[in-house]
Amino acid sequence: MKLRTNALIGGLLVATVTAMALLSVIWTPYNPLRLNLRMRLKPPGNLHWLGTDEFGRDILSRLLAGAGASLLVAALTVLVALLLGTLLGLIAGYFRGRIDRVMMVFNDALLAFPGILLALGIMVVTGANKYGIVLALGLAYTPTVVRLVRGTVLSLREKEYVEASRVIGNSELVTMLRHILPNCAAPLMVLGTSMFGWVVLAESALSFLGLGVPPPAPTWGNMLSSGRPYIESAAWLGIAPGVCIALTLLGINLLGDALRDWLDPRMEPR
Amino acid sequence: MSSSFLLYLLRRALWTVPTLLLVAVLVFVLMRLIPGDPAQLILGDAGTAEQLADLRAQFGLDKPILVQFGLWLSHMASGDFGHSLSSGEAVLPLLLERFQVSAAIVLVAVGAATLLAVPAGLFAAWKQNSLTDTVIVAGATFFLSIPSFWLGLLLLLFVGLKLGWVPVVGYVTFSQDWRAAASYLVLPVITLTLIEMGVLTRMARSSAIETLRLEYVTHARAKGLSELRVLLRHVLPNAFAPTWTLIGLVLGNLLGGIAVLETVFTLPGLGRLLVDAIFARDYPVVQGCLLFTAGIYVLVNLVVDLFYPLFDPRVATS
Amino acid sequence: METRRKNAARPLARLLTATFTLAACLALGAPALHAQPAQDTLRIRLNADIRSTDPGINRDANTDAVVSHIVEGLVAFREDTTVGPLLAQSVTTSPDGLTYTFALRPGLRFHNGAPLTADDVVFSWHRYMTPANNWRCLSEFDGRGQAKVLKVEAKDPLTVVYTLDRPSALFLETLARPDCGGAGVYHRSSVGPDGKWREPVGTGPFKLAEWKRGQYIDLVRNPDYAALPGKRDGNTGNKTAEVARVRFVVIPDVAASKAALLSGGVDLIFDVEDNDLPEYRRHPELVMQSMPTMSLNGLLFQTRDPLLKDVRIRRALALTLDVPEMVDALTEGTAQPNRSVIPRASPFYGRAQSGMPGRDIAAARKLLAEAGYRGQTIKILATKRYNSLFDMAVLTQAMASEAGLKVDVEVLDWATMLDRYNRGDYQAMAFTYSARLDASLSYEMIIGPKDRQPRKVWDTPEAIRLLGNSMNTTDRAQRQAMFDSLDARLLEDVPAVFFYSEMRTSAARDYVKGYKGWPMGQPRAWGVSLARR
Repeated sequence: MKLRTNALIGGLLVATVTAMALLSVIWTPYNPLRLNLRMRLKPPGNLHWLGTDEFGRDILSRLLAGAGASLLVAALTVLVALLLGTLLGLIAGYFRGRIDRVMMVFNDALLAFPGILLALGIMVVTGANKYGIVLALGLAYTPTVVRLVRGTVLSLREKEYVEASRVIGNSELVTMLRHILPNCAAPLMVLGTSMFGWVVLAESALSFLGLGVPPPAPTWGNMLSSGRPYIESAAWLGIAPGVCIALTLLGINLLGDALRDWLDPRMEPR
Repeated sequence: MSSSFLLYLLRRALWTVPTLLLVAVLVFVLMRLIPGDPAQLILGDAGTAEQLADLRAQFGLDKPILVQFGLWLSHMASGDFGHSLSSGEAVLPLLLERFQVSAAIVLVAVGAATLLAVPAGLFAAWKQNSLTDTVIVAGATFFLSIPSFWLGLLLLLFVGLKLGWVPVVGYVTFSQDWRAAASYLVLPVITLTLIEMGVLTRMARSSAIETLRLEYVTHARAKGLSELRVLLRHVLPNAFAPTWTLIGLVLGNLLGGIAVLETVFTLPGLGRLLVDAIFARDYPVVQGCLLFTAGIYVLVNLVVDLFYPLFDPRVATS
Repeated sequence: METRRKNAARPLARLLTATFTLAACLALGAPALHAQPAQDTLRIRLNADIRSTDPGINRDANTDAVVSHIVEGLVAFREDTTVGPLLAQSVTTSPDGLTYTFALRPGLRFHNGAPLTADDVVFSWHRYMTPANNWRCLSEFDGRGQAKVLKVEAKDPLTVVYTLDRPSALFLETLARPDCGGAGVYHRSSVGPDGKWREPVGTGPFKLAEWKRGQYIDLVRNPDYAALPGKRDGNTGNKTAEVARVRFVVIPDVAASKAALLSGGVDLIFDVEDNDLPEYRRHPELVMQSMPTMSLNGLLFQTRDPLLKDVRIRRALALTLDVPEMVDALTEGTAQPNRSVIPRASPFYGRAQSGMPGRDIAAARKLLAEAGYRGQTIKILATKRYNSLFDMAVLTQAMASEAGLKVDVEVLDWATMLDRYNRGDYQAMAFTYSARLDASLSYEMIIGPKDRQPRKVWDTPEAIRLLGNSMNTTDRAQRQAMFDSLDARLLEDVPAVFFYSEMRTSAARDYVKGYKGWPMGQPRAWGVSLARR
């Protein structure tokens, strides 16, 4: 019952956002980049359903276009973090001993590094563009994945079926790939959905602080950030993107919950 | 507590040293790799090449990087964190002053969030799958989906500006006027509390559900203990353990991530100091701040590990 | 079931109620947020604490502003940005331009009562020229700059003679520059027996009363100040202090400062943000004043870039821009457009500088076709640190697209921008130049040999020659002719497109009387009084 509700609402929200993103590729009410200095800061009305921003650009159009940008950045980042983190986590778990210890020192150091500084530092070098953000945030979240994968590897190494695999004559590497890795899949999927949410939030936080996907291309994050000085005079600038972020994240989190319930840990590993 | 546990803690404590050293190296190198240098920033576009050279020499930036690192490290060892290149203030007192602000917010918020989240989580677990449970989980999920600074902005707009209940900008230190200082902190604390409550409630609830399924709980119920007794005496401590770990992670991370909230509420905290210093290429401040934050993160996690056996007796004996 | 639920819920409810009650008490019981100081204190907002009270040493703009109230130099800038005498009564230059004789005004005294003599001038000067003290303008006078100061001597108690190694049209100006501390003269008791700076004992209209680090700097009126006759004139002229006390309040955050002004916590913000203006204008108890500064905002081109080295493309881009409309949008209608490098407030700004070519999309398209433009992207670097620069880039992008030009905006942080600017590593950049106080210096900021100075924008031989000539002569008419010629070439060569000089707008409570901004920009607390009801 619970599973179904979560999946339903979550799925609906995510589907809506994805639809927004896809729609924006072919059509938006106005060109999201088109300036109109005479129509600056107009409140929601007939011409512009969600009003206009400080350059006279239509907010609804920018919202739709921003959906795609925010989702793309988040998806790529999660991919980078999962791939890199899994690789490193497997290595640490496989080799153990000194290699593992050294890797963990690096991992902990990276974890202790506030994500903001890491992202700022990397992006200042790569420039504020999509790839810089993906790299920066991907690196910032990799340690979390490493910890998860390494932990799973270490705890599963000594299980009977893994021993059995070794006994048959499979090399350590094959054992890892064939038996241990698939069992990381479930927690990784759950972590991935949570991370997606964190990345969307982080991207908007970075934009807020002055870095992030560079304008004039809209992302929800930089729309929130540009709306800040106008919070009193033109509150609609900030409300729409914030609502979008919140609803998207809600959908992701609900889906993640449904996923976790479905992959109930009491399920036997393969 | 067993001696093997203490030994484990000691080893953990020792391993923090290379970690912190690595952080120091990473910060040092990263800051100098980033384009732009503080002398250029201070002089602006009007600085002549000679003035630039003079100022760089004054800041010691003309020395080889290894020498700079060695000098910095040796000063730090004796407690001298250096001086800010932008403002000339001594770094350590600056850090401590700013830390007070951030720590006040974070500790109060996480404390309040824990006090509210754990009972709420327990309650939801106890009433699993009922309407109450759904409402609590929905609320918690909702709050952790909201960008913290957006929530802060909204609260600022409605509670601060429209209703005028609390001041929206400014700050005075506690020593100057503690009541005013507290009033400036109300909104940021509420914002952070709401957000953290989301995370903690869900964690408390899920670990409570797991515990409730365990056999010794059924056993306790069978013995005839009241439901409340069962909850408090058996479920709470065990459910709290993973929540406690999460608190450690949250606390450690928050100090770094609170920059955005401090920007919204214009508070002179540690997060903002770090961000401003990065933009100003204020090397001593960034380095000092990072090391300080990393140290706190490591310390908090160590303390969390120390108290873990209190909540999960299995750990201490393993 | 009922009783159990209530048992669990009650403590929770109690906790919530207590928390909210506490919060409400704190909010309602909070006392006045800004303690009201004594009457007759002018409270001016600073956006950061000052760095020291040592003139020209360890300084920034705020430090210069505060210190100029306490310490005075031989010469200072007048309201029209020419240089006039301050502590000196007169300045005579020898015919060969190598010797400057300063006759000091008689009867001047320091804050501690000691008389000002030529020896004090020499003492301060030696302190400035000591490299270990890190005087910001050391390199201007020790031979690495325009001219080297060979010696400074006190001919008699009221005469100081400077000897240079070659003539320089900018010597007096450099002495007067606020970022050099105005070469302020202070009594030797300002320095402790250990050689460390103690406090400024100067001759200015105010004395330093208290510096509470991070919070405020208090100055008190100097009752024995010997003012020059006449009216207020820049940093010289009549500097009589009319308030008893000035408090420079440190409020770093813009929104906090706005709140302070509106609630009466400060009396004057001398530099408000443009996008706050509409809100300030809605308050009748505030008085706003705008003054042009000597800064300059514009779009720079890298004339060595493979695409932009073709002057036709640069001209085409310039033709797509409607500068007056842009400036109006960027500055909320406060600033006037200006295509010249010389700011409007400069005495050298005349008819030749006020040319404003109009927008011509057709001509732009023609030029692009001639140049064989095939839609390559032009990247403009901008920064969010200065909103006007960012907006400028976005507007340029929009306007240029109407002629078919493809423009991308890349946002960098300010430190990276400065780095790229200094290395000339960009195609186009939305940039802001800080104030240059002489027209030659305005041109010098963009003209120079790119091989030795990569940040220079314009390096044609004629431009370099004209600039050099303008710096070697002091004849006004001759210099004006050279500047006119440079301005004409600027519009033809288009190494950059300039838009406007920043306007500095101050906002003050209506009881602040007599405050006036001026092109140099720093706040001046002399000549200002408070009319309390």
